[in-house]
Amino acid sequence: MSSLCLQRLQEERKKWRKDHPFGFFAKPCKKPDGTMNLQKWEAGIPGRDGTLWKDGVFPVTIEYPDDYPSKPPKVKFPAGFYHPNIYPSGTVCLSILNEDQDWRPAITLKQIALGIQDLLDSPNPDSPAQEPAWRAFSKNKKEYERNVIEQAKKYTK
Amino acid sequence: MGYTDTLGADTDEDDDESLDLDFESDSDVVDDLDDQSFSPDCGSDVNDSSDTSSFGNDVTRSTFLEYDSKMDNFNPSSGDGTYDSDGIPKLQYNCLTTDQIYGLMVARLDRIQPIFQLSHGDIIVMLQKYAWSEERLLEDWTEDQENVLIACGLKVEKVLDGPRGIQTHSDFLCHICCESNKQKTFRLECGHEYCVECYEHYIKDKVPEGKIITCMSCSLALKNSDIDDILGDSSSLTLMKSSIKGFIQKHSKHYRWCPFVDCNCIIQISNISSLAEFPRLHLSPYVVCENQHRFCFKCGLEVHAPGDCHVAEQWVKLAQLECANLNWVLKNTKECPKCGVNIEKNGGCNHMTCQSCGYQFCWICEQCWTGHGGGFYECTHFKKDDKQGSADTKNSLRKYTFYYKLFSEHENSVKLDWTLGLTVEQKVKALQENMGISWIETQFLSESIRALIDGRTVLKWSFPVAYYADPSHNLTKIFVDNQALLVSAVEDLSKLLQIKEPQNIIDKKLEFYNRARFVQTRGKALAGCGRDLLCKGICVPFK
Repeated sequence: MSSLCLQRLQEERKKWRKDHPFGFFAKPCKKPDGTMNLQKWEAGIPGRDGTLWKDGVFPVTIEYPDDYPSKPPKVKFPAGFYHPNIYPSGTVCLSILNEDQDWRPAITLKQIALGIQDLLDSPNPDSPAQEPAWRAFSKNKKEYERNVIEQAKKYTK
Repeated sequence: MGYTDTLGADTDEDDDESLDLDFESDSDVVDDLDDQSFSPDCGSDVNDSSDTSSFGNDVTRSTFLEYDSKMDNFNPSSGDGTYDSDGIPKLQYNCLTTDQIYGLMVARLDRIQPIFQLSHGDIIVMLQKYAWSEERLLEDWTEDQENVLIACGLKVEKVLDGPRGIQTHSDFLCHICCESNKQKTFRLECGHEYCVECYEHYIKDKVPEGKIITCMSCSLALKNSDIDDILGDSSSLTLMKSSIKGFIQKHSKHYRWCPFVDCNCIIQISNISSLAEFPRLHLSPYVVCENQHRFCFKCGLEVHAPGDCHVAEQWVKLAQLECANLNWVLKNTKECPKCGVNIEKNGGCNHMTCQSCGYQFCWICEQCWTGHGGGFYECTHFKKDDKQGSADTKNSLRKYTFYYKLFSEHENSVKLDWTLGLTVEQKVKALQENMGISWIETQFLSESIRALIDGRTVLKWSFPVAYYADPSHNLTKIFVDNQALLVSAVEDLSKLLQIKEPQNIIDKKLEFYNRARFVQTRGKALAGCGRDLLCKGICVPFK
């Protein structure tokens, strides 16, 4: 890991502990030997109040590559997560997490977390990443809503 | 023929996006060429008069392969008709490098600058964004200047007061690396300011991608001058070159990289509409780059006459496929007796139903299942049929391997001939120095090696044609005879070129000349004959 990556991640952690949005959590994983692995984080994204997602806190893993912050981190939900813009593997399709699109080295963990929360309730039907949720979202809203609420219950707060 | 359409169909699609870099793009092609009017020539002949201009010290080039500048319309101003004397469509093209293409782009800046009223740096950023397509940029520009500026990262909504560029501080905290005590920073009009070290990292990462490099926090673009200021060198040129590479990929109809190893030439076709003429005539648009590499603009392979692009493509595909799969397929599958598709048996039952044609047969005897009378393993003529079946498979394989061996053998020989060419070059030098013979008088040697390599290449690519051709047809037999003649002509010339003794070489000058000419004529004849097979539908490359 480059010193730039490490230093930045330490600072990200400090900033997050000092101030993070309500209902969210994020912490670096532990290595087998008990030390902290700053390049891999576990986080929880709460569904926004007043939306279909409100009942859940959705688990994600955030992996920072060695060339972070030049390259964006990879954010993953559990495999099979039900959302039009999340791949079957759980990888999130979001422009600010895409190196070729809107990723900027200055984007912080807080911005990423809020960005994902935002994505939950405002999916982008123009860039589908999985078939079931996308089809239901664009063809059968009722079924979509039912599935989302059911999933939220599984990840209840 | 069906495939001609698919090959030719996409050629002029985005003509409008072409950049005519100083050459007039030629659009008037004779609309209907009489099909009978071509003479059997494939455009692979070597011109026999030699180029007197540049034989010498350029080490990067293989001088023995210098072609006459007259051939292949290398000089775009020469010649005026759309077809040359043999009825082959004329190609007009140029050999460029990324540097040259970028240079041409920059040279045009002065011309378009008055339209934009912006600095060159700004216009370059816009062109980069629009993949160097002036037309598209101008179109959008006339519609909505504001939008273009924002999309290209040349304007932000909220401009903060303060200078752009490198700044110095006594104690600056950079939010990218989170280090304090930074002195040198870089700042844009958006107000985002980060330390120069972080920007260096970031830019070095981005340069190979060739896209616009933006502020590390927003989408405001860094101009070339900014990049050079930050890195303290001319890295922006590398960025521009990467960007041009992207441009070439996008405009693959007009530009093609020379496929030869380590060659950085790019061929730009100016009269792209004539490309569509080639497939119909079973010809291929051959071009030659500055390093004398000859290749097909259409498919990017080396010169593959007498085969057309379709033959070459199928052959190469087959070769790749066969090589890896052949053994496995032969070991584990049988061909469906009806449709010939390869079937792998993955269960125990010998009652096979072909997934492709639905034919039901017995795995053991490869006979129709209905004849089995419902009994298992009652294949009475088991041994005889098994032999018959595998003989068929082996036959089709044997045919392929037979031709493939010949193909690769000649491929190897061509490679060796290149090495031979280098020794010939030395011989020429030795002759000039030791025997006081003038340069022009030693040219027969270089010409001979050229003829040899071209002859071998024709020979090599004649095997795929032979493989795909209908063997019972009379013309195929003529083709095969022609092949044999070229083989002996090439081998004779090859033997002659092994002579080492200088005096001996000089004495045999006439023989060299005759043999080389003979190879050329034979090569031409074989190529013409092969094209005849293609045009008449006797050679049909199947899938």
